[in-house]
Amino acid sequence: MKSWFMKGDVVSGAVLAALGVYIISEARQWNYSGPEGPGPGFFPLWYGIAMVILSIWMVVVSAVRPVAAGAKINWRGVGQALLVWLVFAVCTALLKPLGFLTVLALLTLFIVGVMYGKSLKIACAAAAGNALGFYLLFSLALNVGLPVGPLGF
Amino acid sequence: MDVLANLGHGFFVALQPLNLFWCFAGVFLGTVVGVMPGLGPAATIAMLLPLTFKMPPTSALIMLAGIYYGAKYGGSTTAILLNVPGESASVVTCLDGYQMARKGRAGAALGIAAIASFIAGTVGVVALMLVAPPLAKFGLAFSSPEYFALMFLGLAMVVLLAGESLVKALLAMLVGLWIAGMGIDLFSDASRFTFGNSEMLDGVDFVIVAIGVFALSEVFANMEQREEGTVLPVPKGLRNLLPTMAELKACRFAFLNGSVVGFIIGVLPGAGSTIASFISYGIEKAVSKHPEKFGTGVPEGVAAPEGANNSETGGALVPLLTLGIPGSGTTAILLAAFVLWGLKPGPLMIQDNPELFWGLVASMYVGNVMLLVLNLPLIPLFAQILKLPVYILYPIILGISLVGVYTVSGSLFDCYMLAAFGLLGYLMRRLDYPSAPLILGLVLGDSMERALRQSLMMSQGDLSILVSRPISATMLGLAVLLLIMPLFRKFNSWRVRAIEENG
Amino acid sequence: MKLRTSIIMAACAAALAAAPAWAQFKPTKPVEIVVHTGPGGGADVLARFMTQLIEKENLAPVRFQVNNRDGGGGLRAMAYVAEKKGDTHTIAVFTGNWLTNPLIRSEAKFTVKDMLPVARLVLEPAVIAVKADSPFKTLKEFIDAAKKTPGSLKQSGGSQTSRDNVVRQLLMKETGANWAYISFPGGGERIAALLGGHVNMMVIEPQEAGEHIKAGGMRVIAQVADKRLAAYPNIPTIKEAGFDIPNVPQVRGIVMPAGVAPDVVAYYEDLFQRMVRTPTWRKYLDEQQFEDGFQKSAELSKFFDTFTDQMRVILKEAGTPVVR
Repeated sequence: MKSWFMKGDVVSGAVLAALGVYIISEARQWNYSGPEGPGPGFFPLWYGIAMVILSIWMVVVSAVRPVAAGAKINWRGVGQALLVWLVFAVCTALLKPLGFLTVLALLTLFIVGVMYGKSLKIACAAAAGNALGFYLLFSLALNVGLPVGPLGF
Repeated sequence: MDVLANLGHGFFVALQPLNLFWCFAGVFLGTVVGVMPGLGPAATIAMLLPLTFKMPPTSALIMLAGIYYGAKYGGSTTAILLNVPGESASVVTCLDGYQMARKGRAGAALGIAAIASFIAGTVGVVALMLVAPPLAKFGLAFSSPEYFALMFLGLAMVVLLAGESLVKALLAMLVGLWIAGMGIDLFSDASRFTFGNSEMLDGVDFVIVAIGVFALSEVFANMEQREEGTVLPVPKGLRNLLPTMAELKACRFAFLNGSVVGFIIGVLPGAGSTIASFISYGIEKAVSKHPEKFGTGVPEGVAAPEGANNSETGGALVPLLTLGIPGSGTTAILLAAFVLWGLKPGPLMIQDNPELFWGLVASMYVGNVMLLVLNLPLIPLFAQILKLPVYILYPIILGISLVGVYTVSGSLFDCYMLAAFGLLGYLMRRLDYPSAPLILGLVLGDSMERALRQSLMMSQGDLSILVSRPISATMLGLAVLLLIMPLFRKFNSWRVRAIEENG
Repeated sequence: MKLRTSIIMAACAAALAAAPAWAQFKPTKPVEIVVHTGPGGGADVLARFMTQLIEKENLAPVRFQVNNRDGGGGLRAMAYVAEKKGDTHTIAVFTGNWLTNPLIRSEAKFTVKDMLPVARLVLEPAVIAVKADSPFKTLKEFIDAAKKTPGSLKQSGGSQTSRDNVVRQLLMKETGANWAYISFPGGGERIAALLGGHVNMMVIEPQEAGEHIKAGGMRVIAQVADKRLAAYPNIPTIKEAGFDIPNVPQVRGIVMPAGVAPDVVAYYEDLFQRMVRTPTWRKYLDEQQFEDGFQKSAELSKFFDTFTDQMRVILKEAGTPVVR
């Protein structure tokens, strides 16, 4: 039986090692040193190497370390957090076609209505209130240009 | 007693009703833009520049400087309350400030930030007034090897910011270095890690990473539990909203530390307030009697970086006014303003315009008092935001994060990156990687690489340039000391355990 | 004085006579001036000065406002302007960067060919400065010393494609000397490096150098200009100092998005022609020690071609990969 965070260390260590290898391979395409002195590949090469060494070290250490019992991962919770992230990411993509205020209202609607299971009335009120508040504070009072949708808001 | 006579004259200028008004307008506006993430002092000053052409230069400078240091007062507010750094230097304030708020000491944290800002801001002005010319010379003695040593010392702070695992902290720092290296390389014009995307040529703005990794990941992590009610306890009564005597007493050294470190780093044209706040936080933790409590909401952890951030203003004005050399983005705009007002910025400016310089210095004393008076009553008001139910507060945090990132440069691409860094921050949190080292690497990476390469160009590839100069050798020595300290500690605990197991 | 007034009046009369040809277009809402630097950068200061001047002298029926699109060494501003195709209320301040950067960046989606030239405004000369207590009295002394110990003398400057480095490359090629070039991101750091004695020489704007010379921190050994500047009557230009290299001025002017009718370009061309004739503009040029580089749209278009070709050759010789 393996505890989740030990596995997490192995996986994240492997990912970071891969990133380190990528950095090194990119850095090797740039000059390590040029006529003026150290080139653009100089610094990335060294931190790339450090990254590979450290992450492999971490993978090895956490793979052989005896597993501590306890700390079980709440996969349901992680799923919910990732769902909110996904919705947020979709919202940023919608900024251009829909405008900031509409997107903010949708985001609020989702969090209040879906994530916290409030009634539709409360969710709509929160969404409208939030959008209005941002409009008053940023667009009107501070004159910040926010992304605008096709309807002019 | 030349200084006193000059200062007297300066106060005469600063206390004229019109100048008092502009000073107030400046610090008030500064506080407002400081509270709003993304809307920095640089953008605000640029926006108001046209207005200042109709004003006498002294009044204009008093107002613009007010915006500059006022914004630094406001920057801590969202950092403490929402874990959203209002401006880049406030990112260090998040570490302990937000934790204090979580413990119900939001008001105290805001109060300490305001008091630290006031003390350090005033110390900064005093230093600006007394030692500007000699200190400007000291700043010139700093060259690339010294900057490299300073950045290296900053990076060595990673051992102080590490949580349980030093390896993870170092890895997070390396990822920070990688992100810092994205974009055009100044020396060769090569573009690195841009993935063929022209939006990436300038690299990734610090604010995007900081907001993503701090604020968004906090919201996502809280979605796992979906607790009802309010997130943070807000005690009732004004008394509980202000710092206690014990808390203030704990901050005594932090006030001093922040003031001195901030000013000295501010004088250097190649370093900035973010570096100053990191270093003073590191020093505070290194000398603390309870370093293990840092990051869990200790008042010193708020006072030191906030102080450093504010006394940096006085420091940054030293090279600007004595040499005409801007040290940061905001002072560069002030420099442009001088040109547009018809002044000639340069080494003779104080001599040629004593009224301007001493008026400014005196107005900064006045402005700092105004800021304290303005900010302390606002604390209970700001703390009210935490009384909102979480399901309202989280969408607000997400919205403010988006606005903050979008206003940095008005690019939607930055908003997409924000989502990416939000995910990164959440994964790091889940996998127990500390986020502060990532930010540290990001802040220092670029300048450190640059300083190192400049040094090696100067010495024609000879590494000994880094240790043959006294200032840089001293700082590198300190950094090495910092780095090997935990090894000793580890060795010690290992030895103790071995002895126990044997016995 | 009288002569100048009459010239101006004659020009105004000519402009009025020509009026019907361009009078169709007039801006009806605020005009945006795009600049590629943040507030405080060279192009930004120029643009802000122009908005002020246009307003004060009542040169246009609407306000002009600066829009900072900094980033990507100008590429972001260029993309912004190019994508505004057909927009009659957007103009932009271009600099030499707009011409050189697309040459070396494969990420660049647009060149100035994707915009319409409106007017060239200023040529900014430069001077070569050393620290006041430097042993080098002339440019020749500096170059001789650089020949003796290759690579040990240092110059502070900006990026590889900046004018500072182009002047250095040209001088090194001409003389066979060799010295190091150390890049600093900010103008302040470049000056600090010289004043602190960490580098030996730099190329600097004459106005900026003036204050440091007065304070006794700096000395000028040569001018990067076609003819001697009024403020430095006793300092030889590079050519006069005996080094036959082409002059590389920093150029600034106005372009606008493609796809607008010719009368729109003509309107702005005329607007800036009226602007450069105002005494305030003359005074600004004198104070900043800029050269008047006014050229109309057609001439500017030719200038773009010659300048780009020249830079392509210089960059190739400096070993910088050129992509177009």
